[in-house]
Parts: sequence; C-alpha cells; structure tokens
Amino acid sequence: MKKVLINIIFIFIFFIAYFLQCNFFNWFTIAGVMPNLFVILIIWIGLFGNKFMGVTYGIIIGFFLDYLFRSKVGITAITLGIVGLVAKIFDKNFSKDSRITIMLIVASLTAFYEIALYFANYIVFSTQIEIVNFAKILVIEVIYNIILTVILYPLMQKFGYYVENEYKGNKILTRYF
Amino acid sequence: MYRDKKVAILGIVITIILLILVVIFSNGESNTSFFENVANKLVMPVQNGLTYLKNKLNGNDTFFTDINRLKEENENLKKQNSELEQSLRELENIKTENETLKEYLGLTEKYGEYKTIPAYIINKDISNYSKTIVINVGSKDGVQENMTVIADQGLVGHVISVTDSTAKVQTIIDTSSSVSCMMSTNKDSIVCKGTLENNSQLKGMYIPTDADVIQGDSIETSGLGGIYPKGIHVGTVKSVSNTSNMIDRYAVIETAVDFNKLNTVLVINNATS
Repeated sequence: MKKVLINIIFIFIFFIAYFLQCNFFNWFTIAGVMPNLFVILIIWIGLFGNKFMGVTYGIIIGFFLDYLFRSKVGITAITLGIVGLVAKIFDKNFSKDSRITIMLIVASLTAFYEIALYFANYIVFSTQIEIVNFAKILVIEVIYNIILTVILYPLMQKFGYYVENEYKGNKILTRYF
Repeated sequence: MYRDKKVAILGIVITIILLILVVIFSNGESNTSFFENVANKLVMPVQNGLTYLKNKLNGNDTFFTDINRLKEENENLKKQNSELEQSLRELENIKTENETLKEYLGLTEKYGEYKTIPAYIINKDISNYSKTIVINVGSKDGVQENMTVIADQGLVGHVISVTDSTAKVQTIIDTSSSVSCMMSTNKDSIVCKGTLENNSQLKGMYIPTDADVIQGDSIETSGLGGIYPKGIHVGTVKSVSNTSNMIDRYAVIETAVDFNKLNTVLVINNATS
C-alpha cells in the first residue's frame, strides 16, 4: 500500500514539475536558459528508488514528453531511461549524503542528457551543429540544475530516505560496510 | 561486481526493447496519435487554465505602472499620432499604387484563396534547444500536418503533428527547420535555418556566389519544398558574414515575427487553396 502511495506521489511530483517547467521556468530563466526539472526528478528517483524505478520512470516520462513536444517518439525516452540507469549505478558507488557528490552527479547527468539529445537530433533531423552556442546554453543549464538541486536536496533527501526504507529495508546498510 | 553486470545487461535489453518500440511507434500513425491524444488530454485542461491566468495577469500588470510615466507616454503618443497621421496620408497614396501593382502581378487573387484558422499558443517547448509550440486547434478544426502557420508580421512555421484538439508547430527558429526563401530585390534563392544563438535570428545559407546581398532586404518564402506557399514574409537581412570562401558566406536574418511575444497565430488551410 505504501509503495502504491509512493508511486502516486512521484506521478504527482512529475505533473508539478511539468507545469513548473512549462509556465514558471519559461519565464524564470538565466540568460534565457531554462533548467531541466525532469533530469533532476529522474536522478532523484534513480538514486533513492529500487533497481528499476529510475529507468522505468525515465522511459515513461520521456515517452510522455516525446508525445507532447517531439515529431519523432523515443529519443527523450531512451535518454531519460539511461539517466535513470546511470543514477542507480552512481547510487551503488557513491554516497548520497555528500552534497558535492550530488552536485557532480546532477552536473554530469544533465550534460550527458543534453549532449545525447543534441546528437540524436543531429542524426535524426540533420540539425546544424553549433558547438559554441550549445556549450554556452549547456553550462548555464547545468549551473541552474545544480542550484535547484542544492535548494531542493534536503527535501528530496528526506522523502528519498523514506522511499529507500520502504523499498530496500534492512539491505541499506550493507552498501556502506 | 555481479550486480553491476546485471544492471548493465538490463540497460542493454531495455535499450533494444525501446529501439523496437520507437520503430513501431514512429511508423504506426494511428498508435502515435492515440498516445498523443492521451498525453494531451492529461495536461491540456490545466495548461489551458494556466495560460488563461497568465494572460489575465499580464493584462492586469498595467494597473501597477506609475502614473507619471503614463502621462509622459501619453504626450509622446500624441506627438507620434500627429506624425503617424501625416505618414498615413502618404501611405494611402502608396497603398493605392501598391494595390494596382499587386493586381498586376495577380497576387491579390492568389491570397484571396487562402483560408486561415485562428489559434492561441497554449504551450512552448520545455527544452532550450528546440523551439516547437503547441496551438489550441487540431484535426477537429481542420488542421492537418504540414499546414503553414503565420502571424500578423510573417511566417511562424509549419504543423508537424496534430491531435484532435491541438497541433504541434515547428517554428522557423527551430534548429532543425529549413525554409527555402528568396531575397525580394534580386530574387536569389537562399535557405533560412534556425540557430541556437538567438530567438529572433535566422541564418541565410547557400547564397549564390554571384548574388548581391543587400542589408535591410526583405526575405520571403520561395514556394519551393512543398510546405510554405510563395511570398510569405520571413524577415529582413540584418548583416552579411563574408568569409574567404564565397560559398560559406551567410546572412543573418532578423525574423519578422517576435517569437518571445507570440501569442496568437493563423494556420493557412491548404485544403481550401
């Protein structure tokens, strides 16, 4: 029952993130650059959820976004799915208690997500490659995502540990010792 | 170690399944529109409400501007009004002349055939790298894929997919968009592509080596490519970037439409043309 409730909360949080991204962050930008709340959300689920949650949510949310905004379906789904998978691998190798680690995880996965999407678009739509402009936007986006994570992480950690306890129970400590 | 391997294998399996799904979904149009409809129906009611609220708030902002500035603005506007009246009279003469010329070219007749569907922008892209928009008209209103979307000032883009009540529009400033255009003075063809650099600029490429690019020249659609009709205003030439190789030179084109302030658009209904 608690697991169902956790998943309902995650879906609810996704919709909040979606409407924030579409409305608030379309206006609240850094030099015209928006953050990417979906990457932060998937990293969070990947770090604190069970083995499959990050990938599953990544794929579902990715498909949802593809259907809403893209002409070809699947690119965002695959990329967000990989973000969820890598977040889980990071969870096994690094501590979630260190803020620096979390910031680095968010930075690296945001960069990976955008670079992968950009090159996928280049292959599929033959878009023009603009390395300098792309890098400029990417740096601002990564910084924006880090800032948001620093702000939200205490809250994310609190709910995250609740989720982790529910899914992993006694197995949590074995990872550290 | 073993568990890591398991995750890696799981990742590969999921990617393969996804690839198969992508191929199936991107080829089966009926499935795509079904899922698109579901996704739209989930978010659009709330999104519509938020857009309405945002528009309302934007309108109410005027209440908070200070009165002194308004007085000053009023004075300026009065001055501008008298100047505009003067130029209006001049323009009346030019208009008559222009209409005669248009009739001569048969353009009036051609544009008279277009029927447009008015629409509101209800959603803008959530990514920093693509510039698609979602409008509040769909197949129920007669919108179809590849229909041209314009605004008062000029070309906006074209419809890339349609659901019952919404349509996705790829704007001309999107990096994957290419529009075949021509320069109005010398009628030379160029291809206008969107850039990441600016929301109101296009890159005019493949300029013929013998063509003279004039700053301030008007750029219009050429009608080639089968999506955009001929003669729709795209923008004006802002500058020309000359390189040592004449083939590589490009023009920076200022779009006629201000995409940051764009709220309403018109979809040209091809079916009636």
